[in-house]
Amino acid sequence: MNLPGFILRNAFRNKRRLALSVSSVAVSLFLLITLQVALRELTNPINDEGSSLRIIVRNKVSLAQPLPVRQLQVLEKIPGVVAVTPFSFFGGLYKGDEKFTSFAQFAVDPARTLPLLADAKIPKAQLDAWIADRTACIVGQMTADRYGLKLGDRMQFTGQIYPCDLDLKVVGIYHGTADDRNLMFHQAYLDELLGNLGTVGTWWVRASSVAEAPLVTERINQAFANSSAEVRAESERAFVLGFVSMWANIKTLIGGISIVVVFALLLVTVSTMSMAIRERFRELAILKALGFRRRELFAFILAESFGLAMCGALLGAGGAWVMYHYLLNIQKLTNGLFIMFEVTPKMMGLAFSVAALLGVLAAIAPMVTVARTSVVQGLKTLD
Amino acid sequence: MALPLRYSLRNALVRWRSTVATVLGIALVVFVFVLLQSLAAGIEKSSGNTGDPRNLLVVRKGSTAESASLIGRQNLQDIRYLPEIARNAAGEPVISADVLVLVNLPRRLHNGEANVLLRGVTPRGMELRPQVHLVAGRWFVPGHREVVVSAKLARRFANFDLGSSFKSGSATLTVVGWLAGGGSAFDSECWLDADECRSLFERDMYSSFLIRPVDAAAAARLIDRIENDRRFKLKAEREVDYYRKQTMTAAPIKWLGNFLAVTMSVGAVFAAMNTMYAAVGARTREIGTLRVLGFRRRSVVLALLLEGGFLALLGGILGCAIAFYWNGYTTATMGMETFSEIVFEFRVTPRLVTEGLIFAVAVGLIGTALPAIRAARLPVIAALKAI
Repeated sequence: MNLPGFILRNAFRNKRRLALSVSSVAVSLFLLITLQVALRELTNPINDEGSSLRIIVRNKVSLAQPLPVRQLQVLEKIPGVVAVTPFSFFGGLYKGDEKFTSFAQFAVDPARTLPLLADAKIPKAQLDAWIADRTACIVGQMTADRYGLKLGDRMQFTGQIYPCDLDLKVVGIYHGTADDRNLMFHQAYLDELLGNLGTVGTWWVRASSVAEAPLVTERINQAFANSSAEVRAESERAFVLGFVSMWANIKTLIGGISIVVVFALLLVTVSTMSMAIRERFRELAILKALGFRRRELFAFILAESFGLAMCGALLGAGGAWVMYHYLLNIQKLTNGLFIMFEVTPKMMGLAFSVAALLGVLAAIAPMVTVARTSVVQGLKTLD
Repeated sequence: MALPLRYSLRNALVRWRSTVATVLGIALVVFVFVLLQSLAAGIEKSSGNTGDPRNLLVVRKGSTAESASLIGRQNLQDIRYLPEIARNAAGEPVISADVLVLVNLPRRLHNGEANVLLRGVTPRGMELRPQVHLVAGRWFVPGHREVVVSAKLARRFANFDLGSSFKSGSATLTVVGWLAGGGSAFDSECWLDADECRSLFERDMYSSFLIRPVDAAAAARLIDRIENDRRFKLKAEREVDYYRKQTMTAAPIKWLGNFLAVTMSVGAVFAAMNTMYAAVGARTREIGTLRVLGFRRRSVVLALLLEGGFLALLGGILGCAIAFYWNGYTTATMGMETFSEIVFEFRVTPRLVTEGLIFAVAVGLIGTALPAIRAARLPVIAALKAI
């Protein structure tokens, strides 16, 4: 029998324990990856060219404070601004949803919105229909799929922020943006329902180039400084990051907890793996008596423990990757809370490093004992 | 005959080296579960603790929160002199029309920004909320640009010290006092004069009315009247009922706690199983002896289950103890209803501790079941021969 064969035989000697140990490593690494993916998705918004070109302008007081519609003329004249549209978050409850509607509704000016929806794929005819009809709306493919919407359907919303209800007709379905969920309708329709207050929620601006975007942001902030409605302009990404920062301590807490989770499971795994070797002291003593060197015994122990950890990693991390990439529809499962749920190579690397570390750590305690125990003592050991 | 309880307990403790990791593992699982649930409990407790059962709160129909509600001025005139509303000593109706404004302000230590809820409140509104009292400084003077901030928020936001001021929109507000809400949702608010608030933030409309009806019967009549009057698109309910429902923020935290508990417990069950299989394996001869002595199979199973359950219980107690360290610790997040920073405390309630312990014992028992059955099935003679 050769050495790898010997190690393999040893590993498979107690099949039940092998299975239990490998599965607990797998479970912990699966959880590690899941938490990492979730945390990344919650704290790290999409970063593509479009999102750095688009700028959101809100009232400096807070997002809840409206902006006067007269700012439009000023915004349009600012150098580097390609397009501007009102962008009012309606935040309504879709008819049939109990407490919470998972997609946002925005009031915009359809004729001005096209440059801001550069990535969206939508037939020209549908766009024209939207622009032509004041009560028309377009919805993202994901929302359309989720609620089984088709062209011509009507959608009713109860206003939770605005004191009015919407009755909209679906005339277009778009796809191809980073988040195909949002519904867009006419600001003019909202104004009519509210009795023309002369305000909008925020402005949505497109800058001429990525390089120009920070300058445009600065110019917009300057343009309204010391006016009655001062603004805060920021890139779409910075805007979303601002939201993330409002989660405050919860974010840190969840990060901390994922460390505890992984630590807890690793602890348990280390103990079970060293148990497997402790049980074998008598044999190791015999090997020693036969003339095997200490470092050869170390190699046996390390190879077994390392191999076991790696099997767990393959199963857990690999399983997570396969599951989130191919098997599960996370969007559907989490009601649209998570869109991408992408397992990055970095996370896989992390999981495998943790497993490697675990394999080494689990081997240390038994190795120390083996080194310390004399052959006679080892032969005397009963369990 | 059953084995003495002491047999199980001493067995669990005698091989402490191999069991300590299992106990710790279970402790950490219980810790994560109890800690996350205590956050959710803290949020629920703070909103459940808010309001006076005699008060009615009126908001716009359809709005989920006071801060997202808008009520026209005409409605105040229509409701104000209804006979169901109590009068104070001066003969004025006890009704407060408040204005709520979300303001984006910087945190201390340049730690980003967050929304803070400003409440423009009237003298009646202050009388109707006896939970709120001043802990430092003085109250604002009507007509002055002064604000009294929550003492708990003051620790988190820059410029919230007494005497400092912050700019929002065209207004510069000076902090003249700190308020405390006695563990209620008011601990996450800053108060200023209602008229001042409306003029500073150009609010024509009110956000909510807080009313003290004459008595309970009048309250029921008033709710009926407001909800059924075609002129109003308003919703009236008891103030305590309104706040009790403001717990949307707790839901995802609860969900996460449960999710982690379930997934982690799978790993913990594997660990407990491994430990107990090893325990059974090491004691094969002993178990054979017990059987020869006349102990029944089910006694052996019971003794082992007790052993596993006891180990897990130790873990559970340890986990709860670690979680209890955070009990009462103040933390904050963004409220899902108000979109503003809400402060609350970790609340490790007796119920959570019980749940945590039950959960731990369940993990222990599930993990022990298979090894215990295996032990009971061992053929007596073979077991006695085992080394």
